[in-house]
Amino acid sequence: MRLLLVEDDVSIQQFLKRALFEAGYRVDTASTAKAGEALALEGSHDGFIVDLGLPDLDGLELIARCRAQGSAAPVLILSARRSVDERVRGLEQGGDDYLTKPFALAELLARLRNLLRRSAPPQYEPTRLQAADLHLDLVRREARRGDHLLQLTPQEFSLLEYLCRNEGRVVTRTMILDHVWRMRIDPATNVVDVHIYRLRNKVDQDTSRPLIHTIRGVGYVLKTA
Amino acid sequence: MFSKLRSQLIATAAWRISMWTTLAFALGTAVAFLIVYSLVAQGIQERSDTWLAGETRVLAQVFADTPRDHLYLRVREIAELATHEVPEGRSASAERITSTFFLATDSMNPEAPLWVGPGPKEAFIAAIQKAKVVPGAPQSIRLDGLGQTFRVMVREQSGKTLYLGLSDRGAAGLLHRFARRLFAVWGGMFLLGFVISYWSARGTLLRVERITETVARIGTEDLEERLPEPANSDEISRLASTFNRMLDRIQSSVNQLRTVTGSVAHDLKSPVTSIRGTLESALFETENERWRESVGEAIEHLDRLLLLLNTTLDLAEAEAGALQLDRAPVDLSVAVAQLVDLYQPAMSDRGHKLTLDLEEHVFVDADSGLLYRMISNLLENELTHLPAECLITVRLRSHGGSAELVVEDDGPGFPPEIIPHAFERFVKGKQSPGHGLGLAFVNAVVQAHDGTVHLFARSGGGAMITVSLPVSVLQPS
Repeated sequence: MRLLLVEDDVSIQQFLKRALFEAGYRVDTASTAKAGEALALEGSHDGFIVDLGLPDLDGLELIARCRAQGSAAPVLILSARRSVDERVRGLEQGGDDYLTKPFALAELLARLRNLLRRSAPPQYEPTRLQAADLHLDLVRREARRGDHLLQLTPQEFSLLEYLCRNEGRVVTRTMILDHVWRMRIDPATNVVDVHIYRLRNKVDQDTSRPLIHTIRGVGYVLKTA
Repeated sequence: MFSKLRSQLIATAAWRISMWTTLAFALGTAVAFLIVYSLVAQGIQERSDTWLAGETRVLAQVFADTPRDHLYLRVREIAELATHEVPEGRSASAERITSTFFLATDSMNPEAPLWVGPGPKEAFIAAIQKAKVVPGAPQSIRLDGLGQTFRVMVREQSGKTLYLGLSDRGAAGLLHRFARRLFAVWGGMFLLGFVISYWSARGTLLRVERITETVARIGTEDLEERLPEPANSDEISRLASTFNRMLDRIQSSVNQLRTVTGSVAHDLKSPVTSIRGTLESALFETENERWRESVGEAIEHLDRLLLLLNTTLDLAEAEAGALQLDRAPVDLSVAVAQLVDLYQPAMSDRGHKLTLDLEEHVFVDADSGLLYRMISNLLENELTHLPAECLITVRLRSHGGSAELVVEDDGPGFPPEIIPHAFERFVKGKQSPGHGLGLAFVNAVVQAHDGTVHLFARSGGGAMITVSLPVSVLQPS
């Protein structure tokens, strides 16, 4: 997978390039919209990451030009601006997802994966999920650990489902709030953690192989090993 | 109630100013009136003294070359004239001589003095002797028996002594009436002076009072407002314009502060993003548990900083009126229920009991993202500030075209000194954790949605925050 990163802030560009490289992507970088446009027109990228606040041209304008040239690759917009209006405009101009600075790297990677998968041919929607001896029946909304049926609230089931779908990948609190509760809020308190602790008490109780792990500073991950 | 009104009146500057003005005015007029009074009294006395001196001279001549009987008639004539002389005596009958007396003694014949006058001569002689009357200028003698004062002129002539007395009863009466009138006029002037000075002081001070009220309102509500500046430039207009200049300066400082806070927060975002990203990459590069722990802790601290930056920026945007609202009908009941569902476990972990009382399907036209964050801030506020094991009640009602969301608790409540400022930025209790931005954000969002938010101290302890938002007109069925 080859990505184009257009970002004028050198330090952000550097760490993103490294992180994306480590995540298995090949990355071209540009610091201005002009340079970015030139690279984009080569037409060999699977996705774009575009900062809106570029020195020579607005990022939105760059996206519009690429779209006009017939580029269909998904675009993830980065912006320091948080207003809803900006977000809506970005998505209307041809952006596919929107991330405001500062962001968690884990979230950027998750969104990027999501975008690239979306542009790939659709996969069938599973009705069952499994991780080690944890089984989720998405139709009956039941979860079992081994033979034991877990007594989960609907909210806890959704949370477990989200962790399961991202098995092996770290999810942040913001991502959990966004996907499980469908809200974009920034709680200063430990509201999400309390839900995780409760879920963990039900899922990982009486077992020597805990599935839900805390990654301090980032979020949570469900992993088998 | 009346005494309260009176004490309120006495507490005003208008009252004090007019009291002092009136006092000075009263003293001044009293001194002027006393001078007038004494001049008049002196004039009257001088006039009667001149009369006495003239008559005494005439009588002495007559006494020298007239037989005694003739002199008697002559004295009666003078007495009659004296009734005209004395203002009070005019009404008295000339037959009854009351206002003058005449006494002539002869050293040759001391046993038979000549006496014309009211009453027995002994009382007069005694009074004359007591007052040690000497020839020359007229003197006053006091007749205790008659209860009046006479002016007496003495003249000595070849062994004979003549006394002519004139009662000052008339003069005293005149002066008494004069004084009464002066006093009445003075009293009237006193009252009138008080009324005029109170009225004008009050008129002036009411303008000051209006300035005070307006400035107080401007200070708490809106820095845009200005005092009216009348065209004439008296002291109070100048006060108003000085206040306006001061408000200009305050407003520009506040705006500068907001801009600076905003741009600092904005400029910090990029470096913080790259620090956070670098740390996060590092986290996955090492297997060393202790390193991961430290890096994770650093990221968590950074996240708290980021939250503060973001809230500051949101607030700056909201307070500058730059919030772009993407409004659509939102079911407030569902929003509250979802957020309560999210916060419930954290609250019960702290031992709080949460009571929900939500009317269903209350729709408001709102930007759903901001609305959710606003409600979450209210719940965060409860979670952050309450001591363990409190009762929290969340109520939602719609009445009269407005949706009212109430969040109340039985905790210690807000410190009374911050209640009027609880919705301002960075205002928080001394013991309070947090940055003091949560409620400011609530206020900014609610105001952007044409709503109001109020904070009350509950009578039984605890705090109550009510948010009122206009209900949606286009309620989806």
